Amino acid sequence: MIEVEHLSKTYGSTAAIQDITFGAQPGEILGFLGPNGAGKTTTMRILAGYLPASEGTARVAGYDVHTDSMAVRQRIGYLPESPPLYPDMTVQGFLNFVATIKGVPSDLRQKRADVAMDHCGLLDKRKVLIRKLSKGYRQRVGIAQAIIHDPPVIILDEPTVGLDPRQINEVRQLIKGLAGSHTIILSTHILPEVSMTCDRITIINRGQVVATDTPDNLTARLSGEAAYELEIKGDVDIAQRLLAELAPVRQVLLLGPEHLPEHHHRLRVSAEGDRTLGAVISTALVTAGLELHELRRQQATLEDVFLNLTTTEIATSPEPLVAEDAAEPPAT
Amino acid sequence: MGLPLPFQPSTPYPSTHPPTHSPMTILLKNILAIYQRELHSYFASPLPYMIAAIFWLLGGFFLVATLLGPQGILAQAAMADQAVQMGMPPAPPFDVAYEFNKGYVGLLGSLSLFVLPMLSMGLYADERKQGTLELLATSPVTNWAVALGKLLAVVSFYIAMVLPLMVCQAVALGAATPPTGSGVFLLSHLGLVLMAASILALGMFVSSLTESTVLAAIMTFALILLLWLVDAIAQGLPGVLGQGLGHLSLLKHFTDFTEGIFDTGGLVLFLSFIVLGLYLTAQSIETLRFQRS
Repeated sequence: MIEVEHLSKTYGSTAAIQDITFGAQPGEILGFLGPNGAGKTTTMRILAGYLPASEGTARVAGYDVHTDSMAVRQRIGYLPESPPLYPDMTVQGFLNFVATIKGVPSDLRQKRADVAMDHCGLLDKRKVLIRKLSKGYRQRVGIAQAIIHDPPVIILDEPTVGLDPRQINEVRQLIKGLAGSHTIILSTHILPEVSMTCDRITIINRGQVVATDTPDNLTARLSGEAAYELEIKGDVDIAQRLLAELAPVRQVLLLGPEHLPEHHHRLRVSAEGDRTLGAVISTALVTAGLELHELRRQQATLEDVFLNLTTTEIATSPEPLVAEDAAEPPAT
Repeated sequence: MGLPLPFQPSTPYPSTHPPTHSPMTILLKNILAIYQRELHSYFASPLPYMIAAIFWLLGGFFLVATLLGPQGILAQAAMADQAVQMGMPPAPPFDVAYEFNKGYVGLLGSLSLFVLPMLSMGLYADERKQGTLELLATSPVTNWAVALGKLLAVVSFYIAMVLPLMVCQAVALGAATPPTGSGVFLLSHLGLVLMAASILALGMFVSSLTESTVLAAIMTFALILLLWLVDAIAQGLPGVLGQGLGHLSLLKHFTDFTEGIFDTGGLVLFLSFIVLGLYLTAQSIETLRFQRS
């Protein structure tokens, strides 16, 4: 339903996105994950036909967003970064207006508005001026206007921003309820959101796609790699050499000496997924006459995947998943 | 998660797609929807009320001044009468009702030049500011339809502003003996609305260029000054060049209308300005929105 190929967008001399390729199957929820400023909104706007791409193509429901703009517009519901609302209209009046310009026939308009308000929990606010709504309710009106004409493709740019945890949960349920009959692409910088709602995730950073996979596969990708953190006392050089010689170990990092007693060192060991490695490490260190004060195995979460993929550490790992120019200091 | 979610849909989402209407019907419906929404917004915000109030206050003042003031049309007629009674050679006779209509509508036109930028400034600048331009630009509505709907709405509002003053003027003209025909009266107001529509169309284009309503108003006002300058230069320049410029001057053609001269050239000029404004607006939304954000 959504095919994006080698998409680039430059503003002046700065590139917002570079050579992005991803896609979404019909009925799928695709999460578009990335830190702030990664190019999520730019990509969303290109998909919605609001911005032209500098290079590459984007197709929605089989139509090119640039050359067949009208055909695409008829088939998408779009919630921009800030919900596009007329503050002086009532919720119902606004939704009726949107239904009209989205081409809903007049006899269906009222019914569609009711259904959209029902789905977004807006029925008791239908007569309220949008100006007087709280941010959470405005966001809901924004979602309602994106689904009112029942489009096959729904593009949601940060749909849960500004909502409280309960509302976030409700919006997630709503999005899940729309899946199947609708193809949904949603952007976010919040991790649990994608792991809970999305079938597939595309992670982007600095305008480039870093990974595309299911949430489970992404987590598995990291948990296939075990990480141990240990605290030792003694000669750290010997320890590092010892650990590096162990077969499954990929990398040994010396961590900062903060909050450690003198002659204590903290090391981080990453290795192939081997649950017995702990025993091997401790034996090796103790036989070498070093004191082992702490040994901890770390569980990989989606958060680790995200941090790994969007910060520079990955560039030094054996299988770089980011292109070279991402090896700048991470954005804080 | 034990609590029932208020959001939980009570009905499954209908997955029927709307039957298609003819493109023309859809276009008209879209224009009407934009028109209604725009007109609705005038009644929901205080600014248009204030603009109308000032317009009526000054318009009413001009009406009284033109008719009854010390330099007014009735005082002039009385002085001409007196001069004849004192044995002076009679001045060329003049039609009081005609002169009143011409002078007053001319004044309304000048007043409008100050008011129109305030009406057109928010047409697109507000949409940009609210982010609703993103909604309009990603909906299956052509930029033409949006621009036309908006222009019709703001012209309707202007007509609503002029109508009460027209009634007052009609009352005054009704008292004229011998009674005057309504032709010149209606023609002059047609000219007024056409000129206003032309300027509003250009103002709409200016508004589509910026996110700031203040900037839009100032730029539109500058544009009006420029048009006025063209008119002044055209009057000063001798020969073909002056005539050519004069043909392009909105104000000159407006003056023709107030004098009761119906000129197809004038009508064409006004309509051209309106179409130009619509075209530029549609193009600017098509291309310039890309450079923002």
